[in-house]
Amino acid sequence: MWNYEKRLQFPVKITKTCPKTAQLIISQYGGPDGELSASMRYLAQRYSMPVKKVGGLLTDIGTEEINHMEIICAMVYQLTKNLTPEQAKTAGFDAYYIDHTAGLWPQAAAGVPFNACEFQSKGDAMADLFEDLAAEQKARTVYENLLRMIDDSEVRAPLKFLRAREIVHFQRFGEAVEMTKEKLDSKNFYYFNPEFDKEMFKKNL
Amino acid sequence: MSNQDYCRCGGETLAMASFPLQKWCEPYQWNTALANGTVFPCLNMEFYLSEKFPCPVCDNPNASEQEKKLYEISVVSFAINDLTLYLDTHPKCENGLKHFKELMKIRTELLNDYAKKFNPLTQFSMQTGTPDTEIYGWAEGPIPWEGGHV
Repeated sequence: MWNYEKRLQFPVKITKTCPKTAQLIISQYGGPDGELSASMRYLAQRYSMPVKKVGGLLTDIGTEEINHMEIICAMVYQLTKNLTPEQAKTAGFDAYYIDHTAGLWPQAAAGVPFNACEFQSKGDAMADLFEDLAAEQKARTVYENLLRMIDDSEVRAPLKFLRAREIVHFQRFGEAVEMTKEKLDSKNFYYFNPEFDKEMFKKNL
Repeated sequence: MSNQDYCRCGGETLAMASFPLQKWCEPYQWNTALANGTVFPCLNMEFYLSEKFPCPVCDNPNASEQEKKLYEISVVSFAINDLTLYLDTHPKCENGLKHFKELMKIRTELLNDYAKKFNPLTQFSMQTGTPDTEIYGWAEGPIPWEGGHV
């Protein structure tokens, strides 16, 4: 169950229209390492996690990623809400404008639509947690690439915040790996899949 | 000697990564935590191209009362968000739990106060903050993504 709270996790107040910046940032909405992909990844993987506390962590981080998606969408929206037809034509936003006007639609910076193939839910705790660790690293890279390209400090402040969260989440997923290892045989972590070979997992506890 | 025992001859298990568990470190002031993206100084690993940004409310003499109050809620709520993830992997940490409980109390009061003075941010704060209200105020107040009341 989710409840809505009428505010952003980090404040976004962008006063200068810039469709070019919007076109870059939109990747963190619908791109391969974006926040939509992040939230769906964790919220999909949690159901079959063998360690209850790890399922809880995936729920909490997945929930925070939804907040981040809202921050990114608010940024794209504020960067384009006063868009003039002339700006749409010249500022590298023309192709997007033709299909979506100034509406929000999840796509990558290069125009590739959001795709569930950007994330995995493998039904194997170790495979999934290492995917999550990699995902946090890739998202950090994207935020750093954005920070190199964008000058407007009203845009940079939330980007800096979002980058910092990737590092915290990486640390927590590392701790989740350790919590999962504790429940497995340290001589061979791969003897069975704790999410599927449940009888083996129970015997092991 | 089993194959696995043989493989452990160096002491470390092969083909598996190890991660250091975070030890408790004294958190930032909650206001600083929101700006840094974490309550823990030990997890604040800055990027060389990111600068410090002024607080949108505290450093702005034109900020309205409503903006200040909303920012206060964001500061306290973010500290709770970050502590939540810490407590997910450190559920018995006394320091973490103590801060979490204190912050939850402050957050409830701030949400009630905001509902009374301006508009409810959650349906729950409509119940706890303005129980005698005669209008259903859920649709009132600024829309979060408009940036009107950061």
